[in-house]
Amino acid sequence: MEFATFADRAAAIEAEPADLEIVARTSELLADAGDDSEERGSADSAVEPQTVEIVARFVQGRVFPAWDSTKLDIGPTTCYEAIARAAGTNVGSDDVEERLAEVGEIGAVAAGYEFGGQQGLGAFTGGGGGNGAGSAGGNDLTVREVSETLADLAAAEGSGSQDRKIDLLFGLFNRCSSEEARYLARLVLSEMRIGVGEGTVRDAISEAFDVPVERVERALQVSNDYGQVARVARDEGREGLDELDLEVGRPVQAMLAQAGTVTDALEEWDEAAVEWKYDGARIQLHSDPEAAEADAETRVFSRNMEEVTDALPEVVEFAEATLEEPAILDGEVVAIDENDDPLPFQEVLKRFRRKHDVAKAREDVMVRPVFFDCLHAGGEDLLEEPLTTRHERLRAVLADGEAPEQDEDEIEGLSLLWTTDDPDEIEAIDAEALEAGHEGIMLKDPDSAYSPGRRGKHWRKRKPDVETLDCVVTGAEWGEGRRATFLGTFELSVRAGDDLETVGKVATGITDEKLEELTELLEPHIAAEEGQAVDIEPEVVFEVGYEEIQSSPTYSSGYALRFPRFLGVRSDKDPEDADTLERVERLRA
Amino acid sequence: MFKAIVSAETLTSALDSISVLVDECKIHLEEDGLEIRAVDPANVGMVDLSLDASAFESYEADGGLIGVDLSRLEDIASMAESGQLVQLELDEETRKLQIQIEGLEYTLALIDPDSIRQEPDIPDLDLPAEVVLEGKDVNRSVKAADMVSDHIALGVDEGEEYFYVDAEGDTDDVHLELTEADLIDLQVGPAHSLFSLDYLKDMNKAIPSDTEVTLHLGEEFPVKIYFGFAEGQGQVTYMLAPRIQSD
Repeated sequence: MEFATFADRAAAIEAEPADLEIVARTSELLADAGDDSEERGSADSAVEPQTVEIVARFVQGRVFPAWDSTKLDIGPTTCYEAIARAAGTNVGSDDVEERLAEVGEIGAVAAGYEFGGQQGLGAFTGGGGGNGAGSAGGNDLTVREVSETLADLAAAEGSGSQDRKIDLLFGLFNRCSSEEARYLARLVLSEMRIGVGEGTVRDAISEAFDVPVERVERALQVSNDYGQVARVARDEGREGLDELDLEVGRPVQAMLAQAGTVTDALEEWDEAAVEWKYDGARIQLHSDPEAAEADAETRVFSRNMEEVTDALPEVVEFAEATLEEPAILDGEVVAIDENDDPLPFQEVLKRFRRKHDVAKAREDVMVRPVFFDCLHAGGEDLLEEPLTTRHERLRAVLADGEAPEQDEDEIEGLSLLWTTDDPDEIEAIDAEALEAGHEGIMLKDPDSAYSPGRRGKHWRKRKPDVETLDCVVTGAEWGEGRRATFLGTFELSVRAGDDLETVGKVATGITDEKLEELTELLEPHIAAEEGQAVDIEPEVVFEVGYEEIQSSPTYSSGYALRFPRFLGVRSDKDPEDADTLERVERLRA
Repeated sequence: MFKAIVSAETLTSALDSISVLVDECKIHLEEDGLEIRAVDPANVGMVDLSLDASAFESYEADGGLIGVDLSRLEDIASMAESGQLVQLELDEETRKLQIQIEGLEYTLALIDPDSIRQEPDIPDLDLPAEVVLEGKDVNRSVKAADMVSDHIALGVDEGEEYFYVDAEGDTDDVHLELTEADLIDLQVGPAHSLFSLDYLKDMNKAIPSDTEVTLHLGEEFPVKIYFGFAEGQGQVTYMLAPRIQSD
């Protein structure tokens, strides 16, 4: 396919306001990409990549597959320089920048120039077409040539590589019409913006090659390459798509979480899978202990699929010491201090994308991987298995093969997972996570599959407390068993004029140590006792977090805090400074 | 097999005249000398270089082909002081080039020649005008033109019989005329073509000021620039495609 055709089609798509029409036009473009073996006039059908692959990437402004961390690394200045050189006599990159300031968009700037002034030697060698203006290269620019030149350009490195990039890019612009230049400029600067998103290409592939959209979706998830999926859909249809699998070493998009509450989770699912939420940086570990020596055994990718292997030698060492079968694991890398306690996220960032002095950085900040999901193990894709099954495989992958009876919490690098329908247990896990210095908890649907790139409702990160309430403690209960000498389950009240009205009870978020402290604090203020229940004079103020405020007949205020949790004693506050019923009403609205 | 000893100056001159156009090139190790042909990525400028066996202190080769990273090889060559000799030897086993300069040994990894852009076909051009001049006049023309413009016109006035250089900038212009008296030789013919200084400037860097340079010119045709080095035992031919003249 000629690049001019691509540019025309892109212009038509850009001019189209209706989503369905955009899909239809994108679909036609993919269908018309043509068979490369014919284009080349040879029977070589193994030409890589095929034009249909290139087109499927170009329409989204991509040059390389999404999993490929190769970057063009063309700065705007390089692009302006190349445009200026191709644009004619005495145009400088400052002229290009000036126009850009006026017009505001590089495509329009490029389209404003006439290219092709520089002839190529090909025009003088006799054969080889030499049509039109006989510009450099002779023939019309094809989509493939653009793709190949950009690949050469990305590969340029070392001294003088910037000049070489300008030369290559100049060569392309010099062969462009104004309209081609519009889309070439946008493509190299990753600013395609013709209204074609990932969903558009997915639907267009489905439409163009008559394959079910959900099979396309699945194939995209495992391959992470719109180009490959388009080609396979065309050449091998649905069966071909279904045969696409995860590949160790080729990152997929990470599954993402929404904000959510314990209430929602327990309403929607029978049980919730609960995990600690680590304050780290997301990683995807690809490891193949059976890899041929020439291939890297272990590679680590960031959430954006950038390779961070070299920056995180601890993760590589961990994988090489632990894993005995090929695996793709999802997890976090957490910065830790010398006591193995987690450090804030900022500390991880000091390590994450570091390219130089890794050994030195490693002395300053130690990191440790924690894995919570297993996408692939021992040659088997697990994306469609339920979370609990995947977690079992994860455990098996990480466990020491010689100690099958090993306790879960002794398995290094394994994030624990509890399945429960009991909100109190969830609160207890949350309290423990916070106590251990982590961010809180994740709530997951135990039956859900792993959906790469989706920010679905199957994964919820518990919303941090937006607002907290300062409540007066007006009652409590004596504990049972081991906790019989401690006060617990504290009754909370807010001010309503001169009175106090109850809004709930808090029993979670409190360690035994803390309970002992609170009992000492509150015991002197016990006003009355009846069985386990005690009334407490309004003296002490708690800061309390909650998920939401509901209307409720249970408490005298008429409201109840859902999932309240203890955050601390406001020793700086007297009951007169506690929050009011009015504020509770306001927060509810 | 390939084993040769050459003066640092000769090696550097040869490499510099190639590296102004490309970063990597193929070198043909022929029995009677080295041959290099390369074209820039946009197919606008080309170089054809030969360095005869007689330019070397000693030379043995049997027709091999190697691919080199020019800037690496230039860096190594720059380690030699003026007058020192550079010994080059191809290790067939490892496909590496062993380079020795006065006890300094350097092993250079070679590039797979197949990964380097194809060598150009040399256009067979019948260019009517021929101008022979001193390298310093070429240097001076290019330098003056570059002050005002990014393009340069080269031509021959058939009536008045002189060679001229024109450069038009947005505000300032440069014009230079060289008559037969200023030139070494002139064969008059219809010639006027416009060239990008981006390329010509780079080629000019490789043209020694004390060398005899031959320009072949035509109407809206490429220019062919020929000069010798290493006492005539090395030959460089550049070919540069013209720009379309917009007026």
